[in-house]
Amino acid sequence: MNNNKKSMWSLKLSTAAIVLIPAAIGINYIGKLFASLLRLPLWLDSIGTVLAAMLAGPVIGAAAGVINNLIYGITVSPVSTIYAITSGAIGITVGVMAYKGWIANVKKATIVGLVTGLVAAIISTPLNMIFWGGQTGNIWGDAFYTFLISNDVPQWLASFGDSIVVDVPDKVVTVLISYFIFKGLPKSLTNIYRQDSEIEEL
Amino acid sequence: MNTMTLYVEKDSPVHRLDPLVKLLYVVASIALTYILPEPLFIAGVLFVTLLLLVIGKVFRNSLPILTLSMFLIFSLVIVQGFFHPDNVTELFSIGPLVFYEEGLYVALVLVLRVLVMIGSFSVLILTTSPDEMVERLIKKGMSPRIGHVILSVLQLIPQMRATTSKITDAQRSRGMETEGSMLTRIKAFFPLMGPVVLNSLNETKERSIALEMRGFGSSTKKTFLNEEKQYPYNKLLAGIIIGIVILGIVWRVMA
Amino acid sequence: MSIIEVENLKYRYPDLTDLVLDDLSFSVEKGECLGIVGENTAGKSTLCYALAGLIPHFYKGAYGGQVTVNGLVVREHEIADIVENIGLVFENPFSQMTGAKKTVYEEVAFGLENLGLDRNEMHRRIEQYLKLLDVFSVKDKNPFDLSGGQMQRVAIASVLAMEPDVLILDEPTSQLDPQGSSEVFEVIEQLTQRGMTIILVEHKMEQIAQYADRVLLLHGGKQVALDTPEEIFSRPDLKGFGVTPPVVTNIAKALNVRYPDSELFPVTIKEFKRLEELK
Repeated sequence: MNNNKKSMWSLKLSTAAIVLIPAAIGINYIGKLFASLLRLPLWLDSIGTVLAAMLAGPVIGAAAGVINNLIYGITVSPVSTIYAITSGAIGITVGVMAYKGWIANVKKATIVGLVTGLVAAIISTPLNMIFWGGQTGNIWGDAFYTFLISNDVPQWLASFGDSIVVDVPDKVVTVLISYFIFKGLPKSLTNIYRQDSEIEEL
Repeated sequence: MNTMTLYVEKDSPVHRLDPLVKLLYVVASIALTYILPEPLFIAGVLFVTLLLLVIGKVFRNSLPILTLSMFLIFSLVIVQGFFHPDNVTELFSIGPLVFYEEGLYVALVLVLRVLVMIGSFSVLILTTSPDEMVERLIKKGMSPRIGHVILSVLQLIPQMRATTSKITDAQRSRGMETEGSMLTRIKAFFPLMGPVVLNSLNETKERSIALEMRGFGSSTKKTFLNEEKQYPYNKLLAGIIIGIVILGIVWRVMA
Repeated sequence: MSIIEVENLKYRYPDLTDLVLDDLSFSVEKGECLGIVGENTAGKSTLCYALAGLIPHFYKGAYGGQVTVNGLVVREHEIADIVENIGLVFENPFSQMTGAKKTVYEEVAFGLENLGLDRNEMHRRIEQYLKLLDVFSVKDKNPFDLSGGQMQRVAIASVLAMEPDVLILDEPTSQLDPQGSSEVFEVIEQLTQRGMTIILVEHKMEQIAQYADRVLLLHGGKQVALDTPEEIFSRPDLKGFGVTPPVVTNIAKALNVRYPDSELFPVTIKEFKRLEELK
């Protein structure tokens, strides 16, 4: 794989990559649907964003994440739009790490998941502090926040703890699921997104 | 054909406003709640926002959106009311739980702010059709291809949902277990998600070919089938909104 | 000069080892209808992509030889420049709908907006092609609310509105019910009569026999034969290439109803009847 740094961040988006974005958002949506159908204790609403990042790099991953939250914001809950930044960061994180070869095996993929969860928590914390006094609106997260606050933990740290509880397990599982799906995809589907391919002469 | 948006098709003065002016209002109203974080001021902004919803004939439609954030609001009151680090002055108590003045004040500001946020977003979302919004953004310089993507998401997801229920039924009839232990349920995720992803990516590949063959990747300047919609007063209204925000900043600085 | 010229075309998809197109050379004349037949792995769709420019621009991979459409060397021009010369319609009507348009009318306008046409010209073309494809009556409907056959006709209208000189149809009826299929074939009939250059990939040999002036038989990416339908379908070795001739030809072979003084069998019912009566 070509490790030309310039091509990873190229803003010259191919049609295939752009059309991947709605599919990624749809997959996000369906992942969330299945998670609630199967009563799993996780959101699993970023599988599409993560897959898009694995397939087409950080720019598309970030775009998928941001637009996903914007769409969710205008179709269901306006509050989601604020987390567009977080979703974008998830796309960038996975995209960069995937490009650098971090989805070569399960162990590495788990690390990608952990890093992604951390990044999500780090970005969400200031957002949560600004908008809702450090909370997240999630039962487990806010319960943990309450616990920390009542033990005199500084507010920002409690907020960070709240976000970690909400984001890390979910992102680790999300990245692992996406990893397995990605590895199972036929080359005919993954090849069209590679930005580094050239036309060979015959 | 169900579209996903919350847009309510009606005719009202708010519907006829430039979507960009409405977007400016969202930003401005939220900004004001930070520039002047006193409950009275925020309540004032909230009042104007609610008024806009009423004039736009979409007040009733905004209530379901509000209920989605009820837990957040409730949680804010409880957690901030009880546990805010600055809590000193006791206000009242329910059994062993004590509500403090400082915490409740913070909670009040937060809750009012959340209401303004939801309210002003609702003004934008309920009275603006996505097509109109995208068209205005494109005229202001957003890439038409991104605009296309946004609009296609709104139609393609309901289609995906339909395909997904077919896949779910097919897998169920093959004996896939969806009930049982956590492990069973986690394992069931793959035979459901796998086909959905494959199907979606296949279709995406085909659609990108179709779009390419219709000039999607062209660098020629795009033209528009429909006439550009005119918005009288939009400069005036934008000016007023910005003016009020500046006034707010001045007030804050002087206070 | 032929409208399409293919010279020693070779192609291999990225990361694969076998050539999918192996040294193809042929030309297509203006107004001709060229049928392409062969089994599933023969390279028919790949050839369509190569003619449309999607290979090599979209698919990358390894490319050799040359394809020229209307004098333009496909390899040297972006797809966006090629689309006014050659259009492509394929199997799945659903994936050919952009998804971003709420009405059939706007859907057909999509390609024209990308071409930068002025409004009057857009309206003129949209109305013309909606009527030609008999979908004018549903112009205000949402494209996803149409039947398969209607959707496919909207796809064809959308491509034709860009006024290409050549239209490639890659198994346009495979995902349609019989009603939808016959609607599409009626369109193909009309287009051939109007002198449109058409490339048709089909498994329904009756239709190939009906419309094609010449047929290209592919096998394993190689060009086996390029000849009239009668020549191709009368071949005794067809089965080895995974192709079955039209039913009427099989019957003619069994009943030995053939063209006088030749080894050729009829490929349409009309011809069968005529030869039968001659006997």
